[in-house]
Order: sequence, then structure tokens, then C-alpha cells
Amino acid sequence: MSGVVWRLLGRREALLSLLYFIAIVGAAVFARLLFSIDPLEQDLGNTLDPPSWKHWFGTDELGRDLMVRTVYGARTSLLTAAGAVLIAASVGVPIGLVAGFFGGWRDGLLMRVVDVLLALPGILFAMALIAVLGRSQMTALVAVGITGIPSFARVTRAQVLSLRQRDFVLAVEALGGSATYNIFRTVLPNAWSPILVQMVILASVAILLEAALSFLGVGIPPPTPSWGDMLRTGKGFLHEAPYYAVLPGIVLTCTILALDTLGRALAAVLEAPEPGMAPPDGEGP
Amino acid sequence: MTGFILRRLAQLLPVLLIASLGIWAMIYAVPGSPVAVIVGENATPEQIREVTVRLGLDRPLIVQYGAWLWAALHGDLGLSIQSREPVLALILGRLPPTLQLGLAAILVGLVVGIPVALASALRPGSWLDRVLSGWSALALGVPTFWLGILLILLFAVELHWLPSASSYVPFTEAPLAALRNIALPAVTLGLYVSGIFARFLRAALIGELRADYVRTARSKGLRERDVVGGHVMRNAMLPFVTIVGLMLASFVGGTVVTEAVFTYPGLGRLLIQAIGTRDYPLIQGCILLVLLLYMGVNLMVDVLYAYIDPRIDFG
Repeated sequence: MSGVVWRLLGRREALLSLLYFIAIVGAAVFARLLFSIDPLEQDLGNTLDPPSWKHWFGTDELGRDLMVRTVYGARTSLLTAAGAVLIAASVGVPIGLVAGFFGGWRDGLLMRVVDVLLALPGILFAMALIAVLGRSQMTALVAVGITGIPSFARVTRAQVLSLRQRDFVLAVEALGGSATYNIFRTVLPNAWSPILVQMVILASVAILLEAALSFLGVGIPPPTPSWGDMLRTGKGFLHEAPYYAVLPGIVLTCTILALDTLGRALAAVLEAPEPGMAPPDGEGP
Repeated sequence: MTGFILRRLAQLLPVLLIASLGIWAMIYAVPGSPVAVIVGENATPEQIREVTVRLGLDRPLIVQYGAWLWAALHGDLGLSIQSREPVLALILGRLPPTLQLGLAAILVGLVVGIPVALASALRPGSWLDRVLSGWSALALGVPTFWLGILLILLFAVELHWLPSASSYVPFTEAPLAALRNIALPAVTLGLYVSGIFARFLRAALIGELRADYVRTARSKGLRERDVVGGHVMRNAMLPFVTIVGLMLASFVGGTVVTEAVFTYPGLGRLLIQAIGTRDYPLIQGCILLVLLLYMGVNLMVDVLYAYIDPRIDFG
């Protein structure tokens, strides 16, 4: 495990992405300590002020500090992404485990359900769900989460299928180990690496999807700061305040790119053959 | 070939049936009764009863679904709550703009993506490959709506070359005006598409360039242009077409978002407006149509794949 971490950190793009991501998470978690200004505090005397020492990202049409709102927007985005990944993994992984382990009609049935979920592009599915349940952060989170279920189910199933016929799994079965024991104690611990990669990649997809929904005006309702909603409003002030839609967009894009890069680097590290001798702790490349 | 297409259609049928059930059931999942959704919250009990009977909502659910599906199959998707116009007519009116945008974006994607993939695959690991690979990652990672905003800022607000809001002008009627209007949305969505094309075609090309038949072709003294154009490209197209099929979903999503950025009057904008006004028959119609389109294109990709790979037996 520590070998994987060291090899991951040995990749420059992964290290940079990780540092950026830690900074964003840190800022989101400690937003209240970092800024004394409230993200909802209006200052109608200073609307659409350009970036300055006082307001690094400038102010919006209600005089709210855009830097503070971007950081609080990170909170919204990351929470939605984390919740969505949790929902997608906790439903998708068991589906993949059961389908791959038992095969037969269970596999057929579960995979058809997954196919139906895949039949509609994720963003449309999310929009349909929001149309039914109404706009809220919870709906956005659940909608984004459900769209991620198929990818977890498929990745897990593929992994389980290849493990199913391995000697150590058959041995547990031959020794009379129950299917539940075999799935959770033998198969799952050996199937986690592609699932982990999927979690990181889905987090970046979830952030993008949540921002897209908010940009379309069907995601997280205002005044809760969210990146997509800031870009949507900022688009209306491109002449007066171009920075409004540009600066939060940079943070959003960097976050998506960082998570995507991290996921790909993790996949490359996990898939690459282990070096002949794992480097002793602390002396990795 | 016909048998192959029929078999694929038969496989799609159950998925389509379950999905249509989901789309139909949408209106019943809305908090409150579907009648209240249709007539509004201030309706009198008489109005509610009248609409319930008129729409057949007093019948068993399975009968209602059957009736809805039967009508939908005959092109009757009901009336829009907002405009009282037939849903199908509203949707068909918005289809040409979306198709024009989609085609233009794919064109941009091909024109940019294929040269990028070729340039990086022919010299893997070179500085050019690293720059171009970074560029594809960027094209895929930058949210379409933000890229659209940046392009509007540059070409409409700063340079005044192109309009910031795009209206639909059929290309066949006024090509120049159509180009002026479609340019920014097509480039926005097309750059994303080019990222997909470049990343996956590069991977497929590199795989093929290492194959034995390439070495044989080269040792025969074949020109590099013929090796790549005649052999490698054709084989690399196979895995590439599959990937393109898989990425269609994000392309459809991208169309919805791009239309919103440029206030372009396509299907995606219609859907967003319908959600905004809670126009459920229209929402159902839009989603059903997108689903059909998406499945249709997927089927086309499958057929294309089977067609370009002589090893696949249509049987």
C-alpha cells in the first residue's frame, strides 16, 4: 500500500494534482477560519467591483465577495461529489459483486437494470429526477449519485469475474465458506483497486455534472454558493465584469483536471507491475 | 446484415420499454397528484374531477400506461401545459437546430482531433506528443459551459466578430449567416469532441503501429504514408468507433449545456424551459425523444462497427 502511495507521489502531475486538491479541500473545510466575511453578506455600495487587494476575485452584482463565494462553492461542490460517490459506490459495488460472483439470472437481471440506467445520458437522467423531486442540494446529490451507479457496477463485475475462478476463491468455496464470507472477505479485498480509481474519477465527473446542473439553473438553488450558479450569473455580466465568470471557472476547471489526473495516475500506478522488490517504507522513488 | 440490425433492435426493446415506463411514471412521482400538476394548484374539485376523467386518470395504472405508450407510438405525446400545442410538434421544431449543432461539432471534432491523434501517435513520447496529449486532457477536462463563456468573451465581447447569442439559421438557406451563428457553439462542443477523438484514436494508432504487419509493410519498402493511410488507420478505426459510441452520452449532455450557454433554440433549451415551467408532458416528450435519438445513434455505431470490421459475422 505505501509502495503505491510513493509511486503515485513520484509522478509529478499526480503530486501537483494532489497538492492542489488538498489546498481546495483545506480551504473548503476551514473557510470560516480563513475568511471573516460571510458568503451571503451583501454590500450594495460595492457591486461588480473588479479584483482588488480587498476582494481578490472582485465582487458580484450584490456586492458579495467572489473569492469567499468560490471557496464556499468548493464546499458545496465537494460535499455533493463526496455524497454522490458514496451513493454510487454503495449501490454499484454490491450490484457488481452479486452479478459477477453468482452469474446466471442474477447477473442477467442486474445488468439489464444497469443498462436501463445507462440508456439515458447522465445529465438528462439527473434533470428528469430534479424535475420530479424539485431543486435542492440533496436532489442534485442523489441524481448525480445514481448516474454513477452503472460505472461502479460494471467495473466491480469485471473485476469479480476475473477473480471468481482464481484458486484462492475456489478454495474458500471448497472449504465450505459461505458466499457472503467469500464475497466480502476474499473477493472484495482483491477487487478494490479499480473501484478506488473509479471513485476518484467519478468525483471529478460528479463535480462537473453538479456544476453543469447548477449552470442550467436546475441544480443547487441560490443563494447557496455553487460554482455552476456563479458561472451562470456571471455570464450575464460579461461586459461589465468579465472576471465574474472567468475566475470561479478557473478554480472549477483546475479541480476537475486535478481529480481526473489523480485518477489516471492512480490507475497507471495500480496497473503497472510491482517493481521486483517493493521499496522499503520511506525510501520509495 | 438485416438480421444483425433486427437482433440489435430486439435487444434494445426491453431497455426501451423499461425506460418508457420510467418516463411515464415520472408524473406520478411528483409530490401531489398528477392532475394537480396539470391543472395547477388552485384548481377547484370540479376541475380536478373533469380533468381526471378527460385524461383517463381514473383508470387502472397499467391501462393508463398502455394508453400512453400506444398514443406515444402513434406520435401523440399530449399537449404542452404551457403553450397548449402538441408536444411532438414543439419537439420536431427544435430538432433541426440541435442536429445542425451536433453535426457541426462532430465536424470540428474530426478536423481537429484526427490530425492531433496522428501527430502524437507517430512520435509517441516526443515533446509534440506530450503537448498534444496535454491538450486533449484539457479539451476533455474544461467544462463546456466555461469554455463557451471564454469564447463569447473573446470573440463577441472583445473582438465583436461573432454574436454572443446564436440563433438558428438553416445551413441550406443561408450558409454564411448559419456559419456565423453556429461557429462559437460548434467550436465549444467540437473542441470537447476533438479531445475524445484525439485521446482514443492516438491509443488505437499506437497499438496498431506496433503490430507485425506494419513492420512487414515497412520492410516491403512501402511509403510511410501508405502504411499509415492504407493499413494502420483502417485497423485503428475499429476500437475508436466503439469508444465514440460509448462517449455519445456525454456528447448529448454537452449539446444541452452548449445550447444553454449560447441561448441556442434547440431541444436542450426546450427541455430546460419545460423543467423551469414544470411542463411535464413536454419534459416526458423531450426525454423520450432524446432517448430514442441516443439509442438510434448507438445502433448506427454498432452497425458501422460491424460494417468496417470484416471479421464480424452478421449471421
